Amino acid sequence: MSKDKFGCAVRRGVSMAAIAAALAVWGPASAQAPIDLSKWSPEYVRSIAGTQDYDTAADCGKVTPLDYRGRVTFWYQGAFEGDPDLLRQYYRDFFAEFRKTYPNIQLVDQALTYNDLLDKFRTALLGSAGPMVVRLQILGGVEFASKGYLQELKPEDIGLKTQDFWPGAMKSNTWKGKTYGVPTNNETMALIWNADLFKRAGLDPEKPPETWDDVVRYSKQIKEKTGVAGYGLVARKNAGNTPYRFMPQLWAYGGGAFDEASANPNYSQIEINSAASKRALQASYDMFVRDKSVPVSALTNQQADNQPLFLAGQLAMMISHPSDYDVMQDLKKKATGSDAQTAQNVIDNMRYGLIPKGPDGRRAVVFGGSNMHILKPEYVDGGKVDQPAAKALVCFWTSPEWSLKMAYAGSNPGNLNGFKTKWMKERLENIKFLDVTTSMLPYGVPFPTIPETPEIMNIIVPDMLQNALTGTMTVDQAAEDAAKKIKNVMSGNKL
Amino acid sequence: MSIRTSDAPAGGAPARAVARGDGVLRRTWIHRADYLYVLPAIVVMLIVIAYPVYYTIDLSFYSTPPSLQLRDKIFIGFDNYKTILESEVFWRVTLNTFIWTIVSTGSAYILGLGCALCLHQAFPGRAVMRAILIIPWVISAVAASYIWKWIYHSNFGVIGAILVELGIMDRQPNFIDNVNTVLASLIVVNVWREFPFAMIMLAAGLQTVPDQLLRAAKVDGAGAWQSFWHVTFPHLRGVSIATILLLAVANFNSFIVTWIMTGGGPSNASHIWITHIYEIAFGRQRWGIAAAYSVILFLIVMSLGYFYVRGLGGAEKEGGGS
Repeated sequence: MSKDKFGCAVRRGVSMAAIAAALAVWGPASAQAPIDLSKWSPEYVRSIAGTQDYDTAADCGKVTPLDYRGRVTFWYQGAFEGDPDLLRQYYRDFFAEFRKTYPNIQLVDQALTYNDLLDKFRTALLGSAGPMVVRLQILGGVEFASKGYLQELKPEDIGLKTQDFWPGAMKSNTWKGKTYGVPTNNETMALIWNADLFKRAGLDPEKPPETWDDVVRYSKQIKEKTGVAGYGLVARKNAGNTPYRFMPQLWAYGGGAFDEASANPNYSQIEINSAASKRALQASYDMFVRDKSVPVSALTNQQADNQPLFLAGQLAMMISHPSDYDVMQDLKKKATGSDAQTAQNVIDNMRYGLIPKGPDGRRAVVFGGSNMHILKPEYVDGGKVDQPAAKALVCFWTSPEWSLKMAYAGSNPGNLNGFKTKWMKERLENIKFLDVTTSMLPYGVPFPTIPETPEIMNIIVPDMLQNALTGTMTVDQAAEDAAKKIKNVMSGNKL
Repeated sequence: MSIRTSDAPAGGAPARAVARGDGVLRRTWIHRADYLYVLPAIVVMLIVIAYPVYYTIDLSFYSTPPSLQLRDKIFIGFDNYKTILESEVFWRVTLNTFIWTIVSTGSAYILGLGCALCLHQAFPGRAVMRAILIIPWVISAVAASYIWKWIYHSNFGVIGAILVELGIMDRQPNFIDNVNTVLASLIVVNVWREFPFAMIMLAAGLQTVPDQLLRAAKVDGAGAWQSFWHVTFPHLRGVSIATILLLAVANFNSFIVTWIMTGGGPSNASHIWITHIYEIAFGRQRWGIAAAYSVILFLIVMSLGYFYVRGLGGAEKEGGGS
């Protein structure tokens, strides 16, 4: 799809349903935001890029003097095997720049993978051995805030404004009316497809599936015509990749774990066993069991396992970040001979589009990202938090400049001012398909902001998928079983 | 130079005081120097073994909801044990655990015994072969698990590719994404990892089989199988018991292979106790339930430990009598 055509499609596609979803993410504060979210479109994002300069050192120097002497310990979700090399470079640059700007602050940083961070952090907290500052995935903040591990921390504490951030992201840091963190980045994913495989399967190579029912149909057709897996289903347990790919499907069909996809969710009614949720699960079942049109390894796959499949021309569609284009380029460099040629062909035929709609026209995607938090001293290794040093670090990362740079390839800046920087302009020129994922932002649905969310999303939802896809349970039984588990989680101590 | 026998009590007290069967306190006092020598070890064991065991048992009587810190836990008596025993998944996982432990232990033992017997014979390159066979045991379990995950991969696994290439199968077999084959596939990996341990233990045991007995058996007309069954194998009884019990305990507590390769899936088909406990504790933060689960596992492993000690005692006795 060409850029212009895509822009038109986006403008046409922002329906009432999208506006309702946008309200859930953007909230009432969007009117006071530094950028006009009501005008959000690829063209608008282009028009504001490069319109403002920021001096990160000067801004953070007002929070913590640049000659401050101290020490800060920091854990964060770092780059892993599914990330592009570009991101690794920005991580290196960030820490080098922070140390240069604050030469007297000793920064002890530790990177962990997405799937390991929660486990390690929880364990460390039990022994009061946590870091002073942590950057957690968006679904983790409320859990730790509700338990009292985190200090109150709002953007104003580090010289920023609450309105500088997506309201949906701020909500993920809010527990009982108090704020416990600052967003670093926010993202939505998109549908990626291989135009060549579409063509070989007799499909329009430039037209992605419009609905999830189309995804099922396309996947089957691709498998039958080419022998290649159609859709990159991911259903591994204890892996964030699974809910990030299944929940958009669930929401599009009108389902949900609770009512999180509505404008004003209260998470009181379990919806995972609703007729709409079962239809979404049935769609996955149809692809995996009935049509056998998805990778057989879906039950143990993470997205990182889909990437080489896609690059080898063995997978036609998947849901992922814009950074997957860079990942493919990185992976291609490692290929040799005919593999390199195949990889280049796939990259040339790589296309990005909006995530498909449900049968009622609803389009949804997980409003993802990460937040930075400062811990209470009693849970920190050594029993002390160096507040100025901790705030300097949070200020630095969440600044317009680094908020943008650290999300350069795979995400978007948590600080909305990041969209106005010159690096955003540069990014729009360098990162292919960025338009698509920024266009998905209005459709973003945040995960439920309750302490039980990690268990529901990382354990119960994948369990439901696995129970249905392996035939251990019928689709109905798997959905009912998941509802029972969520009820148990919410109400007491049952498994 | 005078030599004091080990029977003589330390501290210079007369031996007859002990023989008279005085109270525990008095005997402790008599042996005070001995106890002082082992005191540092006892303190360390109390800290690293006894306290965690006590804490786990204590924690098993509390509810630990995801919204509360551990220190705010709620006392619920035996409810966690009831929850576990009423859970369908627990029984499924228990069955998996027994299959995993029994089949892994038995297979590793038999394979190890076979290799030990082969390596007991003199042949060119024996030392090299021994070194090669030990490799699975010495390489990192994490690395091995990732390698096997790729070997088994349902889309581009080496085994599947070879089978398809040779025309034995028309499509890639599904090893670890299938509820019916996943446990067996993981057991193969586990046996591959463990058999060198059994091999080493049994190879050492084979060194103790007296040559004259084997020669005598040969003179009496015993064949190879009869020699093995009536002479060699009885001599390996002690080391076999020790090997099997050590393997069984290790398998009950095995975590890495299963967790890395499947995470207990699909649909809990490869969950064993230890991975399930980990998931309940760290994935779901039900520390109380996980602790109760651990207590159950602890009791079972302790029972195995009891048989292990008895087995060792019996073996020593047997060895002493020979």
